[in-house]
Amino acid sequence: MTRKRADTLTPPLQRLLFGTVALFVTGMAVAEAPRDGRIGYVMVERRWAVYSEDDLDTACPDGFNGGPRDQFSELFPTDNGQQYTELESRLMREGRQAHPTTSKDPFPYYDAQGLISYGLNLDNRIGPNDLQSPAGIEGIDNQVYRAVGCIDGYRYKGAVWQFDTSDMLENLANRFVIELAGVDDFHNDDEVTVTTYRGLDGLHKDATGTLSAGGVQRVDMRWGQPFIYQIQGKIVDGVLITEPVDEFKLIWSMAQNIGSYQLFQGFRMQIELNPKSAKGLFAGYVDIDQWDLNLNTNWTTHFQSYGHVSQPSLYRAMHRLADGYPDPVTGENTAVSSAVEVSFIQVHVMRPPEDVKVARTD
Amino acid sequence: MRRLLNLVRIPLLIVVITGGQPVIDIDAAAADAATTGVARKALQYWQPPGRPEQEAYIEEPLPPGFQVIVSPLEGPVFADSSGRTLYTWPLRVQRNGQAGDRPGRPSSCTDEVLQVSAGLMSPYPAGLLLPDLDRRVSCIDVWPPVIALEDAEPLGKWSIIERMDSARQWAYDGQPLYTSILDQQAGDVRGGTKMLSGGDAGVLRKPAAPTSLIPPAFGVAQSSTGRLIVNKNGYSVYSWDGDEPNQSNCHGDCLTYWTPVPAPENVTEKGGWTTFERSPGTKQWALRGKPLYTFNYDPDERSFMGADVPGWHNVYTQRAPAPPEEFTVQDGDFGGQVLADSRGRTIYLYNCIEDTFAQLACNNPGTTQAYRLAICGDGDAERCGETFPYVIAPTGASAASPLWSVMAIDPDTGRSAGPGQTDALHVWAYRGEPVYTYAGDPGPGTLNGQGLGEFAGTRNGFRAFFLRDIFQDSEFRRP
Repeated sequence: MTRKRADTLTPPLQRLLFGTVALFVTGMAVAEAPRDGRIGYVMVERRWAVYSEDDLDTACPDGFNGGPRDQFSELFPTDNGQQYTELESRLMREGRQAHPTTSKDPFPYYDAQGLISYGLNLDNRIGPNDLQSPAGIEGIDNQVYRAVGCIDGYRYKGAVWQFDTSDMLENLANRFVIELAGVDDFHNDDEVTVTTYRGLDGLHKDATGTLSAGGVQRVDMRWGQPFIYQIQGKIVDGVLITEPVDEFKLIWSMAQNIGSYQLFQGFRMQIELNPKSAKGLFAGYVDIDQWDLNLNTNWTTHFQSYGHVSQPSLYRAMHRLADGYPDPVTGENTAVSSAVEVSFIQVHVMRPPEDVKVARTD
Repeated sequence: MRRLLNLVRIPLLIVVITGGQPVIDIDAAAADAATTGVARKALQYWQPPGRPEQEAYIEEPLPPGFQVIVSPLEGPVFADSSGRTLYTWPLRVQRNGQAGDRPGRPSSCTDEVLQVSAGLMSPYPAGLLLPDLDRRVSCIDVWPPVIALEDAEPLGKWSIIERMDSARQWAYDGQPLYTSILDQQAGDVRGGTKMLSGGDAGVLRKPAAPTSLIPPAFGVAQSSTGRLIVNKNGYSVYSWDGDEPNQSNCHGDCLTYWTPVPAPENVTEKGGWTTFERSPGTKQWALRGKPLYTFNYDPDERSFMGADVPGWHNVYTQRAPAPPEEFTVQDGDFGGQVLADSRGRTIYLYNCIEDTFAQLACNNPGTTQAYRLAICGDGDAERCGETFPYVIAPTGASAASPLWSVMAIDPDTGRSAGPGQTDALHVWAYRGEPVYTYAGDPGPGTLNGQGLGEFAGTRNGFRAFFLRDIFQDSEFRRP
């Protein structure tokens, strides 16, 4: 699979919406409606949208946050000859990881300080904590960028950045398919329906081993029901824009034999469409508890060490930066504004027919 | 925010046409069965009552004092004269080193009582003092070597290897042999498993076993529900209720979906394996008289998908005995089916292998509970009991299955309760280890506790009791 730099992968939706000419050219080229008004895509890239092009002195003036190994070494130095017990060291750390609310974080946490990142304006406001898009659009809501922007693994080519996509490709449980229906005009259509599914098939590759359009994805109607959503949207200048939906489960498993997902509130898509591919952003308020569960079950301590991710520290940072969906009882925000870079290739979506003959005897 | 989510529920209709029989909605049938639980599990997963089918094995000469016992879950295993299962400990690589026995070399399992961690697992360093030092035991305390008598002589794959202390230890296929103190009665295989296990799960012991008596065209995969038969490429084989003994009624369109497993012209029919001529010049395999097929639409190896078609079944050399009656089977929200309690809550097993060169288990109530308490309660037993509660057995309950038992647990420590301890919890246990539910599961079919702990629950943590896992193969992996 060809990897591109994050800045070129990230959909220049803002540029599009503000009149970048190139995309109109692309849009014009694909203005014809797909056959039967339907077109499907399967996801081939997926990662948290973290702007990594700025000067690190600006984004992370205090440096990166430490991961499990760094924090362990700081808590349990060995240069003084002291011997530690597993109970007070390893098991204490693992206990705090599984139960991050039972203690306070002994480490400082460095939020990303940059003013620019990818994302969408989720609340239709320009607030004091909002970011600016690389194209200069104000009001970008992406506090996940602040939370993870100074964790090495989430930045461009970092461990989490890489594994979020590679594990998705390798783990069939992650196969994420969208199908647009009611498309009368591939360039501008004020009413289309997007249905999401879990796909059941491998990805189509050409003779060079490169992922390519034109494959087939059967959709999982037996076990994939939790991930089937029907969302209304429109196409504006070749960009699919969907209405926000709550309680959206985006399949998000890693390669550790775990089925998992991220839970979004106010979830929406903004994806640049082409006949053979699509790319853009998913955005919404990601549920903190589900994020934490996903991280703790998919990427346990060893794997978090790859990317210098300290789950207990990050969990607290996410709560501190939470900016949406307050708990009705406590009033505490339960979700964090976020954006996910995604890209797709076109596939033919096969739903099971209503009558499938599976056995017959003469 | 506008709330526009519409969950689409499109039933999957699979229609079976059997000589004009009514259309069958398999999805609805599966849903009904999942709800009732017992009916589903009895039909699909468990050994039917009154059918004590056992896996046949190739007999080989055994040194005096050894025997083969067909265990209820793992099939045939070697055992000593007392019926204690024999185990090997093949060397395997860990993240930062290796542990286990090299074939043909003296055992690495010694009488040394290890005090510190080995640092085999990332990210923690070696040299950490182990929990409960005053109660620690040695490797051979847990894994007694199978000592050869003075006049014992090698026989076939059975050899004798001199231990570091000069004692003579039996070996099979070059691997030193042990028994396990976890095994309580003949047929117990609590010390290890034939299931798959990744390196992060620790260097597990494996039961020593004779070769299964299956034709070369087949294999046997160890699953949580028994010994599943697959073809030589690893794909599941199936039988059909519409067939007659050693006679196939699957012709015509049936063959669009099912492929008879072809048999060679000349075979030796043993162990219930037979062949019959399905058409002139074409032979087909059968087991116990049931013609065998593969499902043309199986997406992957070791599938259960063909058995979703009414009348068709996966084929086992032997299925696992059913769990206690109160347990149910639920569709899991990530694709597959899990064992669940009477309320439908997913059942979890706790896994633990310590980070030492002895790789001793720490997942049963006879060992330190420090590891488990860390994961389920940050060291607090009360919190642990709330997060991953035991599955309490009804008063007077007992299990018909030898795999299941009722165990008395000290709620304050998590260890086995003492005799007559009045506040003991009486909990269900599988293979000598308590089973749990997870407080974070909001209802039936959810598996939020799956993978909590170190290395996604394989090393020190919790894994769901999978009966069928569509995407992750969990039913073929330890636990």
